[in-house]
Amino acid sequence: MSTHTHDHSHHRGLQHQFDNMGQQEESVSIGMWLFLAQEIMFFGGMFTAYLVYRSRFPMAFAAGSNHLDVVMGFVNTLVLIVSSLTMALTVYYAQKSNRTMQVVMIVLTMIFGATFLGVKAVEYTDKYNHGLVPVSGLNKRIPADEHAAPGGHDAKPEPGSPAVAEEHSNPRGEFQWHEYEIIEHTIAKQKADPNGHYLTAAEKVGYMSDPATLTLDKDKFRDKVRIFYFIYFMMTGLHALHMIIGLGLMLWLGWKAFKGTFNADYYMPVEMSGLYWHFVDIVWIFLFPLLYLLGRHFLHELGK
Amino acid sequence: MSDNHHNEHDEHIEHDHMNIPKYIGVFAILVVGTILTYVTAQIDLDGIFVGANTLLALLIAFSKMTCVMLFFMHVYWSPKLIWMSAVASFFWLAIMFSYTMQDYLTRGLGVFGQ
Amino acid sequence: METAAAIHTGSNSSPKLNYLTNGSTLRSWLLTKDHKRIAIMYLITVSVFFLMGGLYAATIRLELLTPASDLLQTATYNKVFTQHGILMIFFFLIPSIPAILGNFLLPLMIGAKDLALPRINLLSLYIYWIAGILALIGLMEGGVDTGWTFYAPYSTTFSNSYVMLVGLGIFINGFSSILTGLNFIVTIHTMRAPGMTWFRLPLFVWAHYAVSLVMVLGTPVVAITILLMAVERVAHVGIFDPAIGGDPILYQHLFWFYSHPAVYIMVLPGMGVVSELIANFSRKRIFGYEFVAFSSIAIAVFGFLVWGHHMFVSGQSVYAGLVFSFLTMVVAVPSAIKMFNWTATLYKGSISFDTPMLYGLAFMGLFLIGGLTGLFLGAIGLTVHLTDTYFVVAHFHYVMVGGQVIAYLGGIHYWWPKITGKMYSEFWSKVSAMLVFVGFNLTFFPQFILGYLGMPRRYAAYPEELQVLNIFSTAGASVLGVGLVMPVGYLIHSLFFGKEAGDNPWLLPGLEWRTSSPPPTENFEVMPVVTWEAYDFGEESGLDIEGARQGETRPATVV
Repeated sequence: MSTHTHDHSHHRGLQHQFDNMGQQEESVSIGMWLFLAQEIMFFGGMFTAYLVYRSRFPMAFAAGSNHLDVVMGFVNTLVLIVSSLTMALTVYYAQKSNRTMQVVMIVLTMIFGATFLGVKAVEYTDKYNHGLVPVSGLNKRIPADEHAAPGGHDAKPEPGSPAVAEEHSNPRGEFQWHEYEIIEHTIAKQKADPNGHYLTAAEKVGYMSDPATLTLDKDKFRDKVRIFYFIYFMMTGLHALHMIIGLGLMLWLGWKAFKGTFNADYYMPVEMSGLYWHFVDIVWIFLFPLLYLLGRHFLHELGK
Repeated sequence: MSDNHHNEHDEHIEHDHMNIPKYIGVFAILVVGTILTYVTAQIDLDGIFVGANTLLALLIAFSKMTCVMLFFMHVYWSPKLIWMSAVASFFWLAIMFSYTMQDYLTRGLGVFGQ
Repeated sequence: METAAAIHTGSNSSPKLNYLTNGSTLRSWLLTKDHKRIAIMYLITVSVFFLMGGLYAATIRLELLTPASDLLQTATYNKVFTQHGILMIFFFLIPSIPAILGNFLLPLMIGAKDLALPRINLLSLYIYWIAGILALIGLMEGGVDTGWTFYAPYSTTFSNSYVMLVGLGIFINGFSSILTGLNFIVTIHTMRAPGMTWFRLPLFVWAHYAVSLVMVLGTPVVAITILLMAVERVAHVGIFDPAIGGDPILYQHLFWFYSHPAVYIMVLPGMGVVSELIANFSRKRIFGYEFVAFSSIAIAVFGFLVWGHHMFVSGQSVYAGLVFSFLTMVVAVPSAIKMFNWTATLYKGSISFDTPMLYGLAFMGLFLIGGLTGLFLGAIGLTVHLTDTYFVVAHFHYVMVGGQVIAYLGGIHYWWPKITGKMYSEFWSKVSAMLVFVGFNLTFFPQFILGYLGMPRRYAAYPEELQVLNIFSTAGASVLGVGLVMPVGYLIHSLFFGKEAGDNPWLLPGLEWRTSSPPPTENFEVMPVVTWEAYDFGEESGLDIEGARQGETRPATVV
């Protein structure tokens, strides 16, 4: 016959289409995981673009990556991991019906999330200041007569100073690139050992004004580094957007937790929000090594 | 596949397997993993084989992700269907990566005048 | 506990509430959580888009009556076929069967009160409306001329049309699709009635499970692709610009990764409908149930492995072409399995040629032709000759119109009495079906020949010697147009003047026929317990043919 009613079917959180809370929880859980599955495919498209271009222009990617602030990236990774811990503890305390600690943990999660975004804002500003935003006009405009370093392309940073310390003139706010050490080193290795695989086939054509003699064309190299920065901004930008949505979710969750909505009998919204938050953390776990660390080992060769 | 079990499964999906020390333990593993990935990135492993650095970084990242999924996201204690959803998405990602790359990796092979 | 002894006369004339009469304010419709009302609202919107897409099709065929580009300038013609493609694919074909028939029938077929996530269902509808409005505004402002495929670098760099606005509409529409698929998967897993095991499910449900997998896993990739294209259009970074190191083929890889499975999003639900039609109108259990069920899943999975067959001549590597060509041959196998099983179901069945069955049979023949010509296109040698010709156009219209639209019409006619409680005129529906079949073949069969002779697609002008075939094609399109518009007439007529259908007018054992027509809001007065196999026409299923003939329905329990 029809399913017998159970005490739980009168649970205040039970929606009308479900017979009992168990069915509701199972449904919500599967639904959330499917949503995460499609988010994985969404980011996956960008990872595919990353994969394709990195496999074609690895040295440009390495050079571009080395100008990201790895310390900030590292700090951000730790910040997100801590926020994942506080998020997991939020679910834990919700299951234990501990209202105070739930709210404390949500607030902590939000603080760490906001810290992450703050560090990202600092990073993005730094890119803006140094002409590393890949869109023409979206970089800081530095008129030609102020703070201009002598020379454009050929200016080399002082030994021991950070790679992009000085400001070059940038009257139209364009993407700028001035560091060619890694690629020149690699070209030298390729010339010394013509049968070695130091440059990919695409690189042997894509960076060179004359592929036969492997003569570097700095503008062409800069264009490939620009692709790296485009992918960097797209991926971290999309990630930051998801982070902002996550913070909004936390705000809603915190409000409900404060009102005492969640307890041992009813904590699925907390668990589901937790799944989303952990997913955003996992995306960053991959972004950090793939964007920030991919070229560090080349610096060793250059004596840095 | 799973029969309708909402009659027998009135109680909640159990999650009483993790406690605070265990959460902190997983957290510690994640921090160690992060430090490890940072440190090994500075060392040039290309002597072993080209791309060794990348492979190591990805292995560490996969391990960290697995920790987060199994213990923070409770997949370890979740029904098989959840396991399958999680695994299926990565499988599909793998399809997208590998089938796209099989074009790019075979382009320069020179047959048919390419 | 209620007993099942209550055999209710569930005809519409009783003062009992059904989902249509349960609340008549605009608010009760726009804020509804009832999957059946949401399905009706989808039906109305989808029909509007279908008619709009049809008007664009008529314009194309009018232009192609003459060899010169005389009715439309080329620039305008580019916009017309783009609009036709976008409206038909994204706003008609992809939502049609899942959002209308799937939404309406899934809970009924599995014995549930509603979908698992009704508010998400409503959100899907809202998103679809917003996306549609954005796309329409884009069209009215001046439209897009890139082709529905939005290939870079034309779309990103050179096209001077409303790419962003229409692209945004398609981007948003994707989320409607994703949420619907998500909802279906959850529902099929958790909301089945007691006794409704996986292998007792109607094949319509299996087909929708498979299509939902594709929707959830594939649609996000087109979302990111459109986003990339839009960012590139604004920022001019050069990610798809070969001069700066970008690769336009990467756009195609990302685009077709979704858009090939998208065609399975379009056709799989149609196959689900056809399984229902063939089995039920042969009054016979489907032959090889498990094979048909698993072939739906196989099509969904394999459909993700063949996207490169849209890119054979694009510049992708020949070896990739080989792999994709081989897999394209493989993906035809599950579809063929279905065809064989349907045919075996017909054999020694008690076939009645009601209108829905006519559509079901038409699907089998037309999809066969469409599918086989797909093999022509999947063979690398042939494809070099046939790419971007009218052969391709004919192929995909055979599978999408001869397949999906025919199945959609069949499904609408089959379940119309359940949805509305009324029966339409059998005479006019048969006339319409004949017109559609004849008109369709007259329109698109000549296009195979045109393509083989080399007429390119997306061109407003063509060599004079090809005019005769084009005239046949346009003539056929006129007949097809009449046939497709007729249902609007007699179906709406049936709402006001049609005969009361009764609960089970076709005398069938499916769960959806065991409740009143139209169903009550909560679907079943007594929640069913299922003890019989799918398509079980025997006594054990509790099917009471005499009772059904008299407008009674034994509730879906077996005492």
